[in-house]
Amino acid sequence: MSRLKKSMKIFIFLGIPLIPLIVFWFIPMIVSLWLSLTDWDYISPTFNYVAMDNYTYAFTSDDFYQALKNTVIFGVFTVIPTIIIGLCLALLLREGLKGITFFRSLMFSPWITPMVAMSIVWAWIYEPDVGLLNQVLGFFHLPQPDWLHSSKSALWSIIIVTVWKNAGWAMLFYSDALQKIPRDLYEVSELEGASAWQRLRTIVIPLVSPTTLFLGIMLAIESIQAYDQIQVMTQGGPSGSTRTLLYMYYQMAFEQFNMGQATAISTIIVVITGILALTMFYVSKRWVHY
Amino acid sequence: MKNNTESKGFKMSLYIALTVLGILMVFPLIWMLLSALKSPDEIFSVPIKWFPEVAQWGNFQKTLDLAPFGLYIFNSAFTALVIVIFQFILSCMIAYALTQMQFKGRALVFNLILITYMLPAEATYVPSYTIIAKMGLLDTLTGVIISNIASVFTIFLLRQAFMQVPKDTIEAARAYGANDFTILWRVMIPMSKSTIFVVSLISFVKMYNNYLWPSLIVKSEENYLITVGLNKFFTSQGSFADKWPLIMTANVLSVIPLLILFIVLHKWFIKGIGDTGLKG
Repeated sequence: MSRLKKSMKIFIFLGIPLIPLIVFWFIPMIVSLWLSLTDWDYISPTFNYVAMDNYTYAFTSDDFYQALKNTVIFGVFTVIPTIIIGLCLALLLREGLKGITFFRSLMFSPWITPMVAMSIVWAWIYEPDVGLLNQVLGFFHLPQPDWLHSSKSALWSIIIVTVWKNAGWAMLFYSDALQKIPRDLYEVSELEGASAWQRLRTIVIPLVSPTTLFLGIMLAIESIQAYDQIQVMTQGGPSGSTRTLLYMYYQMAFEQFNMGQATAISTIIVVITGILALTMFYVSKRWVHY
Repeated sequence: MKNNTESKGFKMSLYIALTVLGILMVFPLIWMLLSALKSPDEIFSVPIKWFPEVAQWGNFQKTLDLAPFGLYIFNSAFTALVIVIFQFILSCMIAYALTQMQFKGRALVFNLILITYMLPAEATYVPSYTIIAKMGLLDTLTGVIISNIASVFTIFLLRQAFMQVPKDTIEAARAYGANDFTILWRVMIPMSKSTIFVVSLISFVKMYNNYLWPSLIVKSEENYLITVGLNKFFTSQGSFADKWPLIMTANVLSVIPLLILFIVLHKWFIKGIGDTGLKG
């Protein structure tokens, strides 16, 4: 085959299909990094280079640290419960159970629905005076928090919705991992008289650890990108208590058109995500045992 | 060996636990539907009224009179479908090049794609927005479509599927004089059918549910996607407390197409996400 013909082929199969990826991923990533060194305001055609000012501004502002703290709390407390609930559901839904697909579908169905729609439903459930949740809590004479209307509970309310929506997704991964555990391992431990709890600790948890790592990192990356539920339920409020880094970035970029500062925040988000992704690659290389 | 009665009792309690958990998980959906069918008085009654006295099916007509949800749903389904088709075509070609062609820089291209897989799309929004604006595609569905047709996720999973196709089959096709397009169309794609179907399904759901990026691009009502239109409806009705039934009706309308899709194809979702699924 001639060289020319070969290059033509690669151009057709790879070059052309890569154009959208280059235009809407690679170039914006680099341009975004570059914009973070400027004071561009989107409207004016000119801008100045401000070197690291946007980063200095971020790292010295209280708002940034509050958003960072919210991001970390939101991340940790959505990832851990999602993983635990996902594993528990997968353990309950063992292979061979009658109606297993039906039950799995029930647990998984929240994932299918749009987050915007579900956030509205939850906002209604969370309504302090007439909402379902506080009416039920009142019936049992339990404390009735203000949920989305109080800066103490708003972030936790959003966390609950996020966990609810993703738990079924985690369950499916664990179901797959559990299925791959060799049956004889269970039989041996049964012969040795191990209790269910011992079996969980010594067989199940170690053998699904690659899945746990994968889910943990993917959910953490996803939690950094959470936007819909915040936008619909609180818009970052009350008093910044649900403003994450991503939401802060959105407000700076598309409400205040402060593109320099916004892209500086987005660069920080990319760095955090990158660290998480690299952790997964390195840890999984040392961990994976199948 | 456990005796029969004990395991029967165990099974019973397992089913009870599963039923309770299942109901809890779908409860927000049930509550949405019940609230949509209530009258304004019923929805605010304390103590709570679980079921509407008379199902207010008229709420649906009232909601549709206030905002064109049919159009929003059409816009979303149409954009998502077009995006999925383009993603499929482009990703098949890239995955084919990455698995079947030898060239310099193949590893580099693959690594760039791998890095992109992990990075948050949101970080590209400021420049991408400017690019869409320069192309004159703000406030068009074309703008939403064109900026979403690159899917690293699809490329990734198709590459994995294509690597599973036996080398002998490809060699045999080549020996019969098949060119690359024929091999892609007649060998690779048919042999990766189930991956392609599951990936397209997930992409479709994601695009239908997509909110942040489309909300930046579309501005006029005739271009609203369902998520954008729904949230606009929510914020515009929100100040009147007795509009909750209509808001819930709008929610039901926006969720129903996906629920039908899920009910029909649930086996694909359940099987696909676990084993084909998303493992990078």
